[in-house]
Amino acid sequence: MKKASVLAMALCLIGIGIAQTNIRIMGYGGQDPAIVQRLLDDVIGDRLAAEGITVSYEPLEGDYNAALFNALSAGTAADIFYLPGETAPAIVATGKVLALDGHIDVSPFIASLMDVYTFDGRVYGVPKDFNTLALVYNTDLFDEAGVEYPDEDDTWADFADKLRGVSALEDGVYGACFPTTYDRFGAFAFASGWQPPGVVEQPDFTDSAMNEAVDWYTGLIREGAAVTPADVGQGWTGGCLATEEVGVAIEGAWIVGFLRNDAPNLRYGATFLPLGPSGERGNFIYSVAYAVNSDSPNRDAALLVLEALTSPEAQQWVLEEGLAIPSRSELADNPFFDQDTPEARANRTVFQGAEQGNVYGFQFGTLGTDFMNPINDALSAIVTDGAEIDQALGQAQRNLQALQERAR
Amino acid sequence: MKARRAEAVAAYAFLTPFLALLAVFFVYAAGRAAYLSFTDYDLFSWPPNFVGFGNYSDLLQDTVFLTALRNTVLFSLVVTATQTAGALVMASVLNSKIRGISFFRASYYIPAIASSVVITLIFMWLFQRRGTVNFILGQVAAHLPHILLLVVLAALLQGAQVAWERARGLPAGWFDPALLVVSLLMALAGTVLADFLGLIRAAAAANVDISWFQTSRAVPDGFPFWLQAPLPLVTIMMMNVFTTIPTFMLMYLAALQDVPRSQYEAASLDGANPFQQLRWITVPAVQPVTFLVVTLSLIGTLKVFDQVAILGDAAPFRSRVTLAYYVYDRMFPGGQAPEVGFAAASAMFLALLTLLVVLLQRRFLRAEGA
Repeated sequence: MKKASVLAMALCLIGIGIAQTNIRIMGYGGQDPAIVQRLLDDVIGDRLAAEGITVSYEPLEGDYNAALFNALSAGTAADIFYLPGETAPAIVATGKVLALDGHIDVSPFIASLMDVYTFDGRVYGVPKDFNTLALVYNTDLFDEAGVEYPDEDDTWADFADKLRGVSALEDGVYGACFPTTYDRFGAFAFASGWQPPGVVEQPDFTDSAMNEAVDWYTGLIREGAAVTPADVGQGWTGGCLATEEVGVAIEGAWIVGFLRNDAPNLRYGATFLPLGPSGERGNFIYSVAYAVNSDSPNRDAALLVLEALTSPEAQQWVLEEGLAIPSRSELADNPFFDQDTPEARANRTVFQGAEQGNVYGFQFGTLGTDFMNPINDALSAIVTDGAEIDQALGQAQRNLQALQERAR
Repeated sequence: MKARRAEAVAAYAFLTPFLALLAVFFVYAAGRAAYLSFTDYDLFSWPPNFVGFGNYSDLLQDTVFLTALRNTVLFSLVVTATQTAGALVMASVLNSKIRGISFFRASYYIPAIASSVVITLIFMWLFQRRGTVNFILGQVAAHLPHILLLVVLAALLQGAQVAWERARGLPAGWFDPALLVVSLLMALAGTVLADFLGLIRAAAAANVDISWFQTSRAVPDGFPFWLQAPLPLVTIMMMNVFTTIPTFMLMYLAALQDVPRSQYEAASLDGANPFQQLRWITVPAVQPVTFLVVTLSLIGTLKVFDQVAILGDAAPFRSRVTLAYYVYDRMFPGGQAPEVGFAAASAMFLALLTLLVVLLQRRFLRAEGA
């Protein structure tokens, strides 16, 4: 009798030993390896270990898309990998991404987010988190200039006046940091009613809404109320804010962790982007999903890991750590958002930004991020070379059409 | 006979590791690239469709490719010419026998030691809109009266001194160093005096506001497309010249050790000035090294990539794209499926262009001295 139970236990142990499956995840470098590791250690690791699954994270440093395309082509891609919203159409088109319909229940996730990963009615990724843009402002600079903080009722004109007030403070201080790139400017174009690819068949840089947004945005830079990051030696608007050279940065929740480390003494607030001529504000939704490799030999285990990574517990942890905004709709009422700290306020603004006005995914169809090159060139030509707006936008439209023809 | 065969076997045995690497990473890779350049391969659909010369004819119709071609050729010609001349002049200067020459040789070589990534980042700081370079240009512009007065005074004083020396029957060259030092010092004193008396005045600190990177401007203004270099590219040219001159200077310096001093002495006895000595003694003597330097420089500049990549979004795409960067960009276009066939075609084009340029160069500049 005793012998039999020992034998049974031994068999069980051997069984666990055999069933041990290692699931590889490929994702961004930077801080992501540490975050995923802590998520595994603190929240979901035990649950997966009980199923006989171990997880290892492989960061792809540098150009993520280049590395991922290579890995997918060579058959060395991990079982689970990050699927960035802006390049999802091309990655899904390789046929290497498993359609998740029937495998995973996606109903608890925010619907507009799921749209980003749905192609021809099939779902290819579960968003791990998302971000939108917010105005993050340096309260000290506004106090010093005696200017009211930006608020959610500001129109473009109100906001511009506040920026002028801050830039009048002294030489070398500007109202806001405005990069000459579509990834920030686009939100303002949406506020004037312009529509991006994916929403309209053929986006038109030469229409009047675009013209109005470009005129307002570049005008503020040219008159000195705003400055481009490059002109103050920074790579992004968060950098401008950290060095206290500008009153306002336009960023998502990722700026929270950056400011915590790089400008711990900076006092800041956050609010929504201003209301544009259409009476609405505009915004981007940036997001990254987890996707499963269709060639994965451990498909079932990979799906279990995917579920654990996007489970309510995992998302609650990510939110409380101040890392990102969760993609499950049920977390909207999370008490974390109601805390009275700058970090929680910034996160709340970013979370609610997804439902305020003209909000579109940061995605460009099959053209990928190349879509942004023509309009970026036009913005920079207007700001630094004094090009005429009509001419620059006309050139951008011609360049876009050339790109589309080449992409067929 | 047997010994010789054993020797040959040993030689091949030692060569094998290298030959194997060469075969895998060069011959095979190049052959495969050549094959792929005739297909529409996208990394996923294998076997790819054969498209003949389709990729090549598409290349020549792509305005971005033509811009990259223009940028690369201009970059290569300007940088090669500048750094070859600069390296020769610097080597000639550093070849003189003065005290502490090894200090100067070492310090002039330092730019070549730093990695190009670091140098690019430093240059991006220097060339910021409110950076050091614009500040210095602003100071120069503001003090233009002083600088002009200094130069004019120095020239006049030098002329007067040389004329006086010659009137006394002494052989004085126009650039006689001793006289030049005196002229410069006196001109400096004169300029300071003029400023003190209020005869000249610095303009209000001019605010030079040149955007070196974030611009689609091309210089010189009004030139045809094929002769205009985008401003960000000009900045990369300066950076490249700055970092590569020292290496080539070292080669020239080595070559100059073999040029007999007596030739210079004889020339100067015959009344040849330093420029004539450079033109008629140094340049012909180092001809083989010039061939090497020009060849290396052409090859190095035609494939310029790292500085362009590091510059990244700091400059508009068309204002910095070179052929090598274009190949990379087509191989991994932003979020599109890789255009491997197209990228391979542009890589083959770059390889053929490099070969052609080097062959042309051989035609006009022979390795062996005249």
